[in-house]
Amino acid sequence: MTIRNTLRDHGQRYRPRMACLKKAEKLMLEMQDPKTGVKSQPQRLVITTIPHAITGEDIIAWLADRFQVDAQEARSFGSTLVALGYIYPLRDHKRLVIKPDASLYRFQTPYFWPTQQWPVEDTDYAIYLAKRNIRKKGILELHEQEQYNRLHKWMNHKWDFIVMQAKEQYRAAKERKKPDRVVFECQERAYWVVHRPPPGTVSAMDYGLDRRIDPNTEEVKTPDYYERIMIFTQQSIMRPRVKSSVSIGALVKYCATYRSHDPFLSNCLPSNPWLTDDVTYWTLNMPNVEIPTKMRVERWTFSFGELLSDPRGRNDFRLFLKKEFSGENLAFWESCEDLKWGTAATMREKAEQIYKTFLARGAPRWINIDGKTMEVTVKGLKHPHRYVLDAAQTHIYMLMKKDSYGRYMKSPVFKDTLQKAMSPEEHKFSDSQLEQNAKKRRPSLSPIVLRQQEQEQKAKMAANVDITQLCRFTTPVPHLAVYSGISDFPSANASPSLPFLAQTPVCPSPISVALDSTSASDRRVEASEGEGEGNPAAPATVGGNASKSRVALSLRRLLRRGCTPTTMFASLSPKCHSAAGTSSRIQPISPDQPSQAPPRRIANFFQIKVDIPPECRIYPIESEDEDEETRAASRGGVGAKEIICPWESLSPQNGTG
Amino acid sequence: PAHFQEEIANGGTHFDHTPVRNECKTMLDALNKVTACYRHLVIALGSTSDSQNLREELKRTRKKAQELAVANRTKLTSLLKDKSISKEDRAEYERLWVLFSSSMELLEVDMKRSLEIGQDFPLKVPTRHLIQTGMTGSTTTVAARAMSVQNMKYEADSNIDTADLRDLQSEISQVTQMMEEMEMKVQVAPWAVEAKQEAGAELKSNMSVGNSSVGVISICEEEPKEEEGGGGNRDAGFASICAVLVFLVIITVAVVLGYLVINMS
Repeated sequence: MTIRNTLRDHGQRYRPRMACLKKAEKLMLEMQDPKTGVKSQPQRLVITTIPHAITGEDIIAWLADRFQVDAQEARSFGSTLVALGYIYPLRDHKRLVIKPDASLYRFQTPYFWPTQQWPVEDTDYAIYLAKRNIRKKGILELHEQEQYNRLHKWMNHKWDFIVMQAKEQYRAAKERKKPDRVVFECQERAYWVVHRPPPGTVSAMDYGLDRRIDPNTEEVKTPDYYERIMIFTQQSIMRPRVKSSVSIGALVKYCATYRSHDPFLSNCLPSNPWLTDDVTYWTLNMPNVEIPTKMRVERWTFSFGELLSDPRGRNDFRLFLKKEFSGENLAFWESCEDLKWGTAATMREKAEQIYKTFLARGAPRWINIDGKTMEVTVKGLKHPHRYVLDAAQTHIYMLMKKDSYGRYMKSPVFKDTLQKAMSPEEHKFSDSQLEQNAKKRRPSLSPIVLRQQEQEQKAKMAANVDITQLCRFTTPVPHLAVYSGISDFPSANASPSLPFLAQTPVCPSPISVALDSTSASDRRVEASEGEGEGNPAAPATVGGNASKSRVALSLRRLLRRGCTPTTMFASLSPKCHSAAGTSSRIQPISPDQPSQAPPRRIANFFQIKVDIPPECRIYPIESEDEDEETRAASRGGVGAKEIICPWESLSPQNGTG
Repeated sequence: PAHFQEEIANGGTHFDHTPVRNECKTMLDALNKVTACYRHLVIALGSTSDSQNLREELKRTRKKAQELAVANRTKLTSLLKDKSISKEDRAEYERLWVLFSSSMELLEVDMKRSLEIGQDFPLKVPTRHLIQTGMTGSTTTVAARAMSVQNMKYEADSNIDTADLRDLQSEISQVTQMMEEMEMKVQVAPWAVEAKQEAGAELKSNMSVGNSSVGVISICEEEPKEEEGGGGNRDAGFASICAVLVFLVIITVAVVLGYLVINMS
């Protein structure tokens, strides 16, 4: 394998486009004119005199005259030229600004000008540091030492070359006359202050990532290029157009809303870390901070999307939904996001888990989406891909947005958060304090560590969630740990079942079904659908109360229903519950089926024998789904007590659905 | 018999590689020197120390660099292609190869930049001003060092700044081609090479050189006292005190000897 050296690897190593450089160069040339350029004077040092020094005030005056701007603007312009490296200060070389007084500056030689196409090489920096080491006899500044050690580690294979070249360059430099030597050293130092800024120096050439494509190359006009232009133009023609009044109105509204939140346009409390090197702002706005800032909470009121995208806001919303017993919506939305953004390897399992937890009939956290969407989703889940749950997710999102979000804004949870939110004081740093801050700058936590923390927190949250939302269709499935808490029998203990008790059984106990007629059950179903989204009153009193004893609950149920004890007790056993649930699920479409077959089927499926009357239709959902699930369950033979995903079947499945 | 076994142990190399290695090193040192000088010359381009002479110096230094490069390349390629070299020797040649290719990289970049700057700053155009960098002296001595001569003689004609650029372009393409060939033909892993010098190696054998530039340190540190200027001055003070002491000792010894001589005669 040939080794490509870094100059030729065509990876990401092009400086992002800096159009100002060419313009600055033109300006530099204008400034050199002996008649119309900047006036220069000699710089008197101890032994020598060096010509071509210019004062800050001269530069500013020239710029103001040339561009017909006021002194303040000329001063910022001059500072930009210094920060880019075209002019360097002779005193206080680490501060790249223009001082409007008699402090001296000098022009930089064209070789050391910043350029778009010539990247600043670490090799050159290493050679410079080695030369400086020679000159200073080993005493380098702290940041230089750090860089030196770092380069020595990473460029170790080239180190011989660097040492050799440093020595030779040092000797070659000594061949020149003393004033030129001095000038050269100042030039080189200035160059590296711009391109490897010491802490506390703001250089205009400090930038982020390199680009992959050279922004200076002319694009070759191949047929491909023209085809791309054609496609783009065709698509532009077909693009739907919006009235400019509408789009401009939206822009204006956006600007007006977000103006005070933009750190460029308005003050950033307590202070902008990029300007003052003080990271209080970031620590106060950490993703999961206890007390959010007032600005942050205000952002949540802008739109539902803002609320969800802020982790702290999402937590608050989750708390609110928990109180309202519709937390499954948010959990479903989050797990859909997880599916969309997760790795491809885990997609299948995730899709299954989501189905089992949220979508299947009898799921512990069943979400309420309309039949059409459910059908489409279940169909899609046969061949799960990243966006298979998009329709359901959108539905739930709009549901939360239109319904829960409004209530959240008026809820005591939000009001409480709003009240507790703090507004930090603005920092007022003096110059020396700013320097202190710059010296104390340290890198933040590594993203790997942050991600680990995030995942630990997610796991903790998943473990802590108890099932507080159960719908009338929920089957208690004891072994299901994900999204359902570790507790053995959450549904039986779940308190929100209490409000339902008055009208509907938590698990469609076949006893009650058997007792009532089907019409009554339908009525019941409708009634419970009416109160679907949870009533704040009753759950509030029993919220999050997962430790009620099973016995107490069932006794209460017993008393209320006045059912026959035997069947009641039969339904108490865990197996029975699931059996009960599934048996209703397995309900054959035609109620006139012999009562023999279903129990046997149930027995085969769940390996228990329970005498349960089969004919009841609880679920007002399309019969085809039931049908295929029935067949799936009957032929499944998959482990007992599992909710079967319709696509999971060990035996050759029919092609329906 | 023992000698014979030694031969076998060496894997068949029956000659000592030291003279070859030294030769390569000398050639590389020469190339290194020329590269360093070339860089100094290119830095002066476009500034007020630019002149006809500088352009000619650049041209001649460049040519010398190329000759050295070709020579080095031929030598090292032939050595690296030789399969019968022992492991240590091969490691050494690979190290020399990395030195060579790094030198060539620097040279190539400097040549390209000199082309750009040369095109941007033609000497004969009156409206085009050179940048007033404060450097006004000539670079003759640097070029003389590169060419290893005592004095440079200038014989170029007056339009060298434009005429030379064409040559420069062709030379650049030659160098680029050579480097690509080098990459293709020689399979050396640069990162596998271990440098012989450790951190701070440049300080050794340079102490004498450093001392003589004491004056430069105090001039260039036009900074407030808390900066490293203070440290440099302190060291300079120590050095001068030591020098004075040594001088006094020598004078005393001389006086004593003189006295003895006078006494004896």
